[in-house]
Amino acid sequence: MTRSEIRIAGAGGQGVVTAGRILAEAAILSGSNATHNQVYGPQSRGGASRSDVVIAGDEIGFPLADEIDLLIALSSEAFEKYRPEIVDGGRVIVDSRCAPEADDDNTSDFAVVDTARAVSGGQLVTGVVALGVLQAYAGLVDADALGEAVAARVPAKHRAMNLEALRAGRELVSGAIP
Amino acid sequence: MADVKTYLREWAMPHVLCPGCAHGIVMRGFLDAIDQLQIDQDKVAVVAGIGCSSRIVGYIDFCTLHGTHGRAPAFATGLKLARPDLHVMVITGDGDGLAIGGNHLIHAARRNIDMTVMLLNNSIYGMTGGQAAPTTPAGAVASTTPAGNTEPNFDACKLMIGAGASFVARVLAANPIEMSKVIADGVRHPGFSFIEIISDCPEYYGRYNKVGGGAEMLTWMARRDAGVAVPLSEKKFVEHVPSSPVPTGLTTGVLERDIRPVFTGVRKQEPQ
Amino acid sequence: MSEAQLIQGNEACARGALAAGCNFYGGYPITPSSEIAEHMVRMLPDAGGVFVQMEDEIASLAAVIGASLAGSKAMTATSGPGFSLMQEHIGFAVMAEVPCVVVNVMRGGPSTGLPTSPSQGDVMQARWGTHGDHPAIVLAPSSVGEVFDLTVRAFNLAERFRTPVILLYDEVIGHTRESVQLPEKVEIVDRVRPDGDAADFLPKAADATGVPPLPAFGDGYRFHVTGLSHDERGFPTDDGHVAGALLDRIHTKVSDYEDEITAAETFMLDDAEVALFAYGIVGRSAREAVLRSRDAGIKAGLIRPTTLWPFPSQQVAAAAAQVDKVIVAEMNLGQMIGEVERATAGQAEVVGHMRADGEPITPSELVGVVSAGGGGGH
Repeated sequence: MTRSEIRIAGAGGQGVVTAGRILAEAAILSGSNATHNQVYGPQSRGGASRSDVVIAGDEIGFPLADEIDLLIALSSEAFEKYRPEIVDGGRVIVDSRCAPEADDDNTSDFAVVDTARAVSGGQLVTGVVALGVLQAYAGLVDADALGEAVAARVPAKHRAMNLEALRAGRELVSGAIP
Repeated sequence: MADVKTYLREWAMPHVLCPGCAHGIVMRGFLDAIDQLQIDQDKVAVVAGIGCSSRIVGYIDFCTLHGTHGRAPAFATGLKLARPDLHVMVITGDGDGLAIGGNHLIHAARRNIDMTVMLLNNSIYGMTGGQAAPTTPAGAVASTTPAGNTEPNFDACKLMIGAGASFVARVLAANPIEMSKVIADGVRHPGFSFIEIISDCPEYYGRYNKVGGGAEMLTWMARRDAGVAVPLSEKKFVEHVPSSPVPTGLTTGVLERDIRPVFTGVRKQEPQ
Repeated sequence: MSEAQLIQGNEACARGALAAGCNFYGGYPITPSSEIAEHMVRMLPDAGGVFVQMEDEIASLAAVIGASLAGSKAMTATSGPGFSLMQEHIGFAVMAEVPCVVVNVMRGGPSTGLPTSPSQGDVMQARWGTHGDHPAIVLAPSSVGEVFDLTVRAFNLAERFRTPVILLYDEVIGHTRESVQLPEKVEIVDRVRPDGDAADFLPKAADATGVPPLPAFGDGYRFHVTGLSHDERGFPTDDGHVAGALLDRIHTKVSDYEDEITAAETFMLDDAEVALFAYGIVGRSAREAVLRSRDAGIKAGLIRPTTLWPFPSQQVAAAAAQVDKVIVAEMNLGQMIGEVERATAGQAEVVGHMRADGEPITPSELVGVVSAGGGGGH
């Protein structure tokens, strides 16, 4: 596969960094190369958070996102800030609450945050729901590999809930595309 | 008792210390303590910082590390954690140990690393030419306090007790037999031991404050020894009258002794 | 080789250290290097080593030097503010010839600067940070895999030359996770220890290699270690001839082996008309920019040093002889460019592309620089 750059961005506490790491691990399990990088501020909780993943079939030159192919924006701030960095022909997955009013061919909105809340009662699995959306919407990694990576990365006591979040994310896409 | 020359690097003599300086008496007292303890000379590591007292390590025949100003306890920490079989000792001065190196000293004490720190307090910076130290008494003259020191001074032992040192003692260079005994006691103590050794600096402190040469300073020191006759709970620390250039009394002897867990680094614990 | 796994640069550093035989770590927390300590404290005890968190960076390197004199392979890791504090003991380790490894994960400076953002602002400090004339060996990896390899190399060079070795990489390299396959076994170099009679031991007498054997404290050789100028007995001296000879030997023991120490990767230089000079994360951007520039019809090439010091002058001079222009790209306001100019010696035009705002220099940015003919910056 050719190089794909994915940016997952949102608010601290949504599990954005972990989601990026899981995506990269799933890519490796799928037989690709991957890099993961996080940008963070001084706060351990709250504030903006961002995770960049590069996936490629062969050696990865520059390990950071440079021309973003796919943006997953889980907050309005993230959407506004990173939308201009999308490469021509790139796509955006945005949380329904932050979706722009005007239609945009490249932008699809899904109820990621609400689904995460329904699954977990909070926002902790937001990133994993987003991964489910991403996999069903864009492929990039094997569905089984993604499930395996989620199961391996999250704490055992939260495993079932996270796998449920992943499934719920996928269904957001299959429900939206008849 | 072995010939003290067994423990000396005679080839490194003559030494750099001034006539009348009591640091030589301290060196001898330290070597006597080592001899009393009968520990393997090859397993003794002595670490020093920078200053007159720290130069002692050049003349004693052990593994010796003459490090950087104030950092001896930190070098010694690495040595001891890496080689627990070594007997690690530190020779430092009042400027070295209490000013630039104060942070390292309090943390070595807090961790309760098994080492012995001997702090030779001559109340002044000798090697750099008689500047005021954190131990210079209020009112005393130094090259940087020509009108008399207007800062209060540290009580090294009180500081070390506060930092958690499990063995704290004060001895006088003027009382070398007791000094050797207390040093040996400190080395035997399992954990961090701190011994403040009241020494002198006739060349600067004595001259600037007109308190005489080496012999006079030692005599004067011994006369001010308040001893350890009172129970530990009632012990008084060094007190001074602000208008006087010197402390009026010195509490000597073992001021703190407690058995506490010894820090050996984060490592795989050997089966007991 | 192990299976491919997603590993962060700072974790690769810790794993490289263990592979190299590191058995002592002393450090102080600082962003963006703290993960190295966090990995070391988890792995070192089981490997038979010792970990200690010291009270500051001055003490950290002091403890490392103490441990090394006790026979350990010892390291510390820090970032700019801590690296400033460590300069005192880098000088001590040079003078006393104590092997040790210092890792500096560079963040934006000066002062507290940009704690979570990358920079290459410490490359000159790594060379000249401590006072006095001194040699420096400084390695600069560009990837997570290279962090592992160069950490091993840093230990080997430190042991071989009895000198501190600095591993210098930026926050991006430290925090990026990449899929890497780590080698199961690496080549390990150990310091030479004396084997003669302890009574005749001269701790600072070197043979033709210029590197004296180093026993461990407690192993039967009683010797003196000092940061003062000293003679072959290790004893302080102010004799100018002796002090000068010591300084000379401390330099030549490294400079005589520069050919073996310096290393630089070249990429597509053979027919290049313009060469990019870049290291660390910028080396990755530059390689990508070379490929994209060639797609656009510009004959670009790359020289990427993995040793910053000693500076790979011969490699740079050879590259400069082939091209019309050298573009130096670095995440500072112009530091290594001076060395490139000196090594190039007028053979090619040297221009810089500098950036010190906490953002990494990207491939797109460099493609623009190459197509515009170089120069500029933010």
